[in-house]
Amino acid sequence: MHEFSIATTLVNTLLDFAQKEGAESKVLEVYLRVGKLRGIAIEQLIFSYGILSKGTLLDGSKLIVEETAAEAHCHQCDFKETFQLADESFHFGIPQLSCPQCGASLDLEGGDEIVIAKVRMLRASHD
Amino acid sequence: MTKQTDVVTSAEGEVFDVELEADILKANRELAKENHENLKKFGVMTIDVMGSIGSGKTSIIKSLISILKDKRRIAVIEGDVTTTIDSDLIAEEGVPTVQVNTGKECHLDANLIKKALARMRLDQLDLIFIENVGNLICPAEFPLGSDKRLVVISVTEGPYMVVKHPMMFLQADSVAINKVDLAEIMGVNPSKLRDDIARINPRATVISTSCRSKIGIEDISSSLGLLHS
Repeated sequence: MHEFSIATTLVNTLLDFAQKEGAESKVLEVYLRVGKLRGIAIEQLIFSYGILSKGTLLDGSKLIVEETAAEAHCHQCDFKETFQLADESFHFGIPQLSCPQCGASLDLEGGDEIVIAKVRMLRASHD
Repeated sequence: MTKQTDVVTSAEGEVFDVELEADILKANRELAKENHENLKKFGVMTIDVMGSIGSGKTSIIKSLISILKDKRRIAVIEGDVTTTIDSDLIAEEGVPTVQVNTGKECHLDANLIKKALARMRLDQLDLIFIENVGNLICPAEFPLGSDKRLVVISVTEGPYMVVKHPMMFLQADSVAINKVDLAEIMGVNPSKLRDDIARINPRATVISTSCRSKIGIEDISSSLGLLHS
């Protein structure tokens, strides 16, 4: 459900950007980084993006999503690893904040971003 | 406009990348920070109460108000998709309420809270409960600027709601397992739910509650430090 509101913010941010770039440039591809801890269904996000971008400067552009992981660190035993979802058989997996080594609670870094990394544009040739 | 679009799609066009690094959650995060600072200035503590539909968020808030209202000046922001049913219920406790109807949205966001706070006399308050929209998924994504997060679940939602919605519990300070008086009838084991929560977030304090039997309400209050400012 929140995919739609996130897609709305995404489209509004991109439209501001596209307007500044001017009508001579067209947005072809949008590269988005989404943290795995956000629990976002990528397919729904892309679907919402397609609906919201119709009839705007973004019409026909492609949304390309890269998922980024969180790093877990235990201050008790210094255990470090890329944060794992405990059981991948669930669609979203079950994250665990208890250290697999000593059972203390883990600190997480990253994995919660939603960032437009770059936009691929097409500029008209004026030769 | 149509003509210009024809120009830019020409095969002779040049493709180029613009590195944006634009954080699209920044606006909400900054507004949440602004809310937090505003509340701090007035010394008001805020608790974001989240949980699924019908888990008993409103009843827990009502029960907390009834044991705290002699000691703290309390107000409630009620988030719902529509209707004022919950804020009417809370008003029975004699505390000010602001109803926020999101219309279509499945969660509150920092901007809606900012607008709600503008309607409140913060100088006359110690504690605000924010009841989020009933939903175990989306509210976790949108910080509001509150001090602490309380998640309310209940045994009537069955035995799997914790493992099915782990994200909600990652950021919880306290979790109430509500309606424990019905656990046996429902065939749900509250200690299994406790284990699930402890595995996901060992830092969260887990409390078994029943608003009807007045179980665990004091414990929620002390786990969130509601009597200390």
